[in-house]
Order: sequence, then structure tokens, then C-alpha cells
Amino acid sequence: MNQGRLDRTRFERIEAYVLGSMSADERALFEQELAGDPALRSELELQRENTLAIELGGMERMLKNVSAEHRTPELDRDVSGTNWKNYLKYAAVVAIVLSGAFWVLTRPSTNERLFAEHFEADPGLPVAMGASTDLAFSDAMVAYKLGDYSEARAKWAALLQADPGNDTLAFYIGSAALAMDDVAAAVPLFENLHAGSAFHDKAQWYLFLAYLKAGDPAKAKTLPIDDSPVYGERARAIKAELE
Amino acid sequence: MERIKDTYLVSEPSWLVGLRRNDPATIRALYDRHLPSVRQYVLQNSGTTNDAQDVFQEAVTVLWLKVKEGQLVPDSDPGGFLFRVAKNKWLDTVRSAAHKHMKVVHDDRIDAMETDVDDGIEERIVRLRGVYEKLDDKCRAVLDQFYFERKDLATIAQNMGIEEESIRTIKYRCMMKLRAFRKTIAGEENNEAV
Repeated sequence: MNQGRLDRTRFERIEAYVLGSMSADERALFEQELAGDPALRSELELQRENTLAIELGGMERMLKNVSAEHRTPELDRDVSGTNWKNYLKYAAVVAIVLSGAFWVLTRPSTNERLFAEHFEADPGLPVAMGASTDLAFSDAMVAYKLGDYSEARAKWAALLQADPGNDTLAFYIGSAALAMDDVAAAVPLFENLHAGSAFHDKAQWYLFLAYLKAGDPAKAKTLPIDDSPVYGERARAIKAELE
Repeated sequence: MERIKDTYLVSEPSWLVGLRRNDPATIRALYDRHLPSVRQYVLQNSGTTNDAQDVFQEAVTVLWLKVKEGQLVPDSDPGGFLFRVAKNKWLDTVRSAAHKHMKVVHDDRIDAMETDVDDGIEERIVRLRGVYEKLDDKCRAVLDQFYFERKDLATIAQNMGIEEESIRTIKYRCMMKLRAFRKTIAGEENNEAV
């Protein structure tokens, strides 16, 4: 089996062959290469297996769904004449009362509600297969885009240690922290982004939301964000609601 | 949107083409047509409708894998195959320690059937499941759509709210994670063999 790295171009050629999306000419050429390249044959076999494993995962999920559609309920059994349907009714009433009480006790504050209504994690930067120096950054960006904020933070934090003045790293670590409800970590990162940074306006918006989340609307109101062409309207609406 | 149009021979039956394409309508048709006979057999042999569903689901998985690997000829009878596999699986269950008290009703169809499915495919399914389990949820979300549902990158990007180029990169990286895992396993097996 080939132990080296498989670059994306070679990977995508093998993929096209496995999925049958090559033209007849490409296919003939690829098969010629296969005949004289044992490493390519090995990669092809591996990729076929991995593709099949993914398809099996999808198929088993589909089968569960179709099986559920065809499931016929087992016959209800009336155990010893017990009127269990009445018990179910009482249980339902108790559950409704308890859930109402739970909601009253745990309902979110206005600040938290406004945060939840307006917070949406920054979508991140496009991830392209660029220079290898960007590999660590884009690897973390992949995790971020897929919602794995913890992994993204950990990877970016290591890069920020080596480059403490990097505003891109500071912003995205803050953004990932806020997405994880870690307001304490997010706030200083946003506060320290200098006015000349390309991320300054976005950072001010997220800082505004972070203050709300932290239960400090007074501090949120002091941020000069009302005139922002992108965030001003939403900030003014939130401030009006807070009034 | 579907990415790849399958090319297939006119002589191939629709169920075979549908299985190869992971087509949900084909799966539903197999359930509609062939689940009742399996259900009847399992119910006659101390099982429940849920037991029947379970063995039938496993049988469809075996049928699907056979089709994917080109091990079934186009004139194979999917109903007979599914019944045979499901029956064997249920008999295995009945014979297990937990079900020793159950009684098996004789079925003439069983004697007439060869057990041509016990060719290591179970182990193969287990091994493939093990590979799939190595993927985290995020990779699965992208790879399932691309390789199983056969959606194109633009559609997946739209579904997930991520740029198409990013989806392409994520797909590549997730597949490289799987490749690294498989190479590690292969290395361990080689070491054991030495």
C-alpha cells in the first residue's frame, strides 16, 4: 500500500473513476495508468473500500427510516384488566404541569433571548487548498465551518501563541468561543481588536452581543455601533427593545 | 440535484439499478413486496413483527452490498434472496441461547434453497461499518451527501451554507482521514503477520 501523501488532484481522479464520472477517453487513459502503476491500483482499491463504507453508512440509515415506515404496531396487551389508558392521561397532565413549572423557572432573560435571536456565528473564511503554511489555519477553519468550535479554538490558539498580533486569529478564536457560550474568553479578544483591523466592525457587533449574553446591557449600549452600515440597524433595534 | 447519471444495460432489472444508485423508492418497493413473506415466517417461528423487520433490514443490507460488488446476476430473484438471508438470520437467532425454547416450524421452501450467502459478507459488512464509524458527524454530513446521496458540490454547499470550494476541501480532508486510518490498520495487520 502506498504510504505517501495523496494529493488532491490524484485523489479526485481516482474518485471520478470510482464514481463512474470520467469520460470514456479519461477512463481509458486512467486504466492504462492503472496497468503499469501498482501504487495507483492500491490507492484505487482503498478509495473504493472507503467509498463503499460511506455508502453503507448512508444505506443503513435509509433502511432504518424505511423500516420505521413499514413497522406495524405490536398488539396492545391489556394487562390484568388494568385501565392503563387512564394512567397515561394522568401522567400526561402531570407532565404538562411539571413542564410549565420548569419553563417558568428556567425561561431565558431578555438579554439571553436577544442574544439567541441575533447571534449567528460568523460563517468563516473560504477554505482552499493553498500554501502549506496556511494548512494549520485552514484545517482549523474546516473544523470551525463544520461547527467543531472546540477543535478550531485549540488549533488556532496554538497559532496565536506564535503570532500574538494576528487579528484574524484573534477574531476567529473569539467567534468560536462565543459560539460555545464562552463569553469570558470571547470578550477580551474582541475588545483588543484594533480599529484598523478588517475584522473590527464584526468584532464590535459580536462584542455587543457578548455583553448582552454576559448580562451587561449597559456596557453593550456604550459601544459606538449604531452608525455601522452592516450592524447599526440591528443594534438600534436591540437597544430600543432594551429600553 | 443528482450528480451522476448511471449508465446501465437495458436488460438490468429496475431493482438492481435502483439499489446500485441507493434509490429510496427501490428500497421501499422491496419492503412492500418482500417483507410480508419474511414477517409471516418469523411470526410462525416464535418471533414478533419487530424481529421480522430487523432480519429483513439486515437481509436488504446484504442484498445491497452484493449488488454494489457486482456479485448478483441481473436475473437473480431479489425476493428469494431476501427470504433466504432473513430466514437464516432468524434461525441463527432462534438457535441462540436466549431463544432455545422457541420451536421452528418446518417450511418446504427452506429445504429447496441453497445457503449461498454465507460467504464472509457479514464480516465484510462489520469491517465497512468500522470504517464508517471512524468518521465524525461533520465529515459524515458532507461525505454522505456526496458519495451516498450523489449530490453535487454546489448543492451540498447550498444545503450547508458553506462555499463550494470549502466543501471540496472538507471532502478531501475527511477522505484523507479515512485513508490514514486504513493505512494504520493495514500497518498493524502487516506487523501482526510478521
